[in-house]
Amino acid sequence: MTLTATPVPTGRQVRRYTAARARRRGGASIGSLLVDVYTVLITTAVGVGLAIGLVDGVREVLPPDTGGRAAGPEVSLPTLGALVVLALVGTVVSLAGRLGPVGVGGAEATWWLTLPVGRRALLRPAAVRLPLAAGAVGAVVLPVLDLAVHEAGRPAPERVLAVAAAGALGAAALVLAAGVGQTFGASRRRIAAAGDVLVALAPALAVGAAVTGVSLPPAPTPDAGVLAGLGVVVVAASVALDRRLDRIPARALRESGSVAGQAVGAVVSLDSRELGRALGEGIPARRRRRSARLRPVRSAAAALVTADALLLLRSGRHLAQLAGAACVPAAVLSVPHLRTPVVVLPALLAAGYVATLATAEGARRAEMAPVVDRLLPIGARRVRWLRMVVPGVAIALWSVPAFTPLVLLGAQVPEWVVLGLLAAPVWAGAAVRAAYRPAPDWGGPLVSTPAGALPIGAASVLSRGPDVVVLGLVPVLVAVALGTVVPGVLVAQALVSALVAAVCAHVPDAA
Amino acid sequence: MPTDVPTDVPTDVPTDGLTDVPTGRLGDRPTDPVVRADSLLVGYGGEPVCAPVTFDLPAGTALALVGPNGSGKSTVLRAVLGLLTPADGVLHVLGREVDEREHLFRAEVAGVLDDDAYFPALTVAEHLVLTARGHGVPDAEGVVDELLEDFGLAGHADVLPVTLSSGQRRRLLLAAGFARPRRLLVLDEPEQRLDQRMRSALAARLRAETAAGGAVLLATHDPALLAAVADAAVLVGEDESPVLDVPEAVRAIRAEPPR
Repeated sequence: MTLTATPVPTGRQVRRYTAARARRRGGASIGSLLVDVYTVLITTAVGVGLAIGLVDGVREVLPPDTGGRAAGPEVSLPTLGALVVLALVGTVVSLAGRLGPVGVGGAEATWWLTLPVGRRALLRPAAVRLPLAAGAVGAVVLPVLDLAVHEAGRPAPERVLAVAAAGALGAAALVLAAGVGQTFGASRRRIAAAGDVLVALAPALAVGAAVTGVSLPPAPTPDAGVLAGLGVVVVAASVALDRRLDRIPARALRESGSVAGQAVGAVVSLDSRELGRALGEGIPARRRRRSARLRPVRSAAAALVTADALLLLRSGRHLAQLAGAACVPAAVLSVPHLRTPVVVLPALLAAGYVATLATAEGARRAEMAPVVDRLLPIGARRVRWLRMVVPGVAIALWSVPAFTPLVLLGAQVPEWVVLGLLAAPVWAGAAVRAAYRPAPDWGGPLVSTPAGALPIGAASVLSRGPDVVVLGLVPVLVAVALGTVVPGVLVAQALVSALVAAVCAHVPDAA
Repeated sequence: MPTDVPTDVPTDVPTDGLTDVPTGRLGDRPTDPVVRADSLLVGYGGEPVCAPVTFDLPAGTALALVGPNGSGKSTVLRAVLGLLTPADGVLHVLGREVDEREHLFRAEVAGVLDDDAYFPALTVAEHLVLTARGHGVPDAEGVVDELLEDFGLAGHADVLPVTLSSGQRRRLLLAAGFARPRRLLVLDEPEQRLDQRMRSALAARLRAETAAGGAVLLATHDPALLAAVADAAVLVGEDESPVLDVPEAVRAIRAEPPR
């Protein structure tokens, strides 16, 4: 059998052949394409407008920054802004690592990667996609953030444009750099870990800055030199990535493509649990550990709780998520300008919910594959009670560093800590409620909103979890708003917590 | 029969910046086996999944990997195809270390694993034409028509793979393995989801493959397919992976626990 020199098409020709055949049956017309583009642009514009309006509204109700007015450690607004940028950088790098950034999945992996054609042309669209998306997000997020932390009124249009350009170029450069690292064999795990470290550093640095009194000056408007420098970096990284695309092994491309496909599917179907699984489990983990002796396990209930606890304790990502979220209230409260319930409340709720999500992996996995649940002789309702134990304990521990800084609003540390401990069952209940929520219901009616059609059925499912956080923490919200913790609030929180936990342990008949 | 391809290469073949035309030939030394594995250790995350594997696969022969489910057969095949980096040992394919990033490797090594992914808007025939043309087969349509007939897919040539049964999709994947030139054909449990008639036809096709000088490496649980095709076998196991002759391998398969 001979196989010597054989003429084969180029990668671009293979791509075009596939696209041309797909177009013949796709049924998409230029009109529908234009409608799609129009919808995306309008939806994005409305979203950006809403974000700017929200930031503007918050700015208007913020107290003036009188400087040196507040007691306790302080972080300047520009310093906080810089640390948020650091967290955003980490997020971009982490996502780039988790998603590849260059990947090929599904049919393309099976039918393209085995061809003896140049892979550069085959992979070019996949390599461009993520930097472009990151650039678009950066161009929106950074100006909005700049608006939020800009001290002297609204920034000038030139500054907005310059910051948007810097955001776009910076985000694209980060993803391209991660791609170049991928071509040199840097594992997705390492790239993602580097990003995670930056994210975790941000709140820790905020606390450090508050303690040490380090304060950064306001960020200057990016000048032409800075933008040109970023542009050069983007071009250089693009060229480097393009030239080395064919050095990425098929196994890496397949892994990345698989994760990206799963993540995109989760986003399209608004399934945050699936998104978490795609981004969290797409990174290969350590395959072996020393087995625990599980001495405390003397009953089925103990087995369930121990399984959840081990899952949390063995997940560095979730522990880091807990620690990082615990620093957020302190970081916000250390900025005198933000020391108002309008900012502190959302920050506390968001940080608490992020921390809560980190503690409920056991419940989420059980909802997907109830292997342990079915092995153990425990009723469904009791299972849900037991699934609240680990989130409850973890959040109770989290509440100590998270609620202590609220003393800057008034009252005493023990009072806030007690309030935080009493509120822990609400978070735990929300975690279990969110974990056991059913799949989004896409069969319900659509409601037209300025940002596009909203599927009511899916939205109501997705709100399971956050809904009880908002309702169950009303006493906490009252205390933060008043800047004091009265005994009545503590009693009310205890009662509401018990009620919420009971509601969240309820198992619908259909379940 | 393996698809023979002409050796005359036109000089105006388009390229997209790199060498899109596989030139030369891997493993030019005639004494080189097509696959040489010496104490090959494979696994995931640095953890081996089976004992080290040692075998030579000369041209014109077929070697079967046998062993119960989870023993590591597919992992060995993935390493041979360059989809997994060996943890240790030597693995040479066509005289060189495995690097599927090389055009020549992909031109000469065909693999049919358990992938089940298809372009949603490409028909069955178009998937095969894409494969054949992508490998520079001159009469791609003619080769594809013949394969569709042989694999019982002629009546489904113009349908989308999503409408096929799992057995038909399996046959499409197998047909793709034969729609292109190759010196080594790697198959992971090709008998899966095939009826007895198609298994017999596959066995005949693989015998023809080796008779024409091609090498076949397959993992299988089918003693009849093994007996009809293989010249030797490796029993992939946790503690050791011995080389067996065909009767021993057939007995090993029959001794596997029920699946």
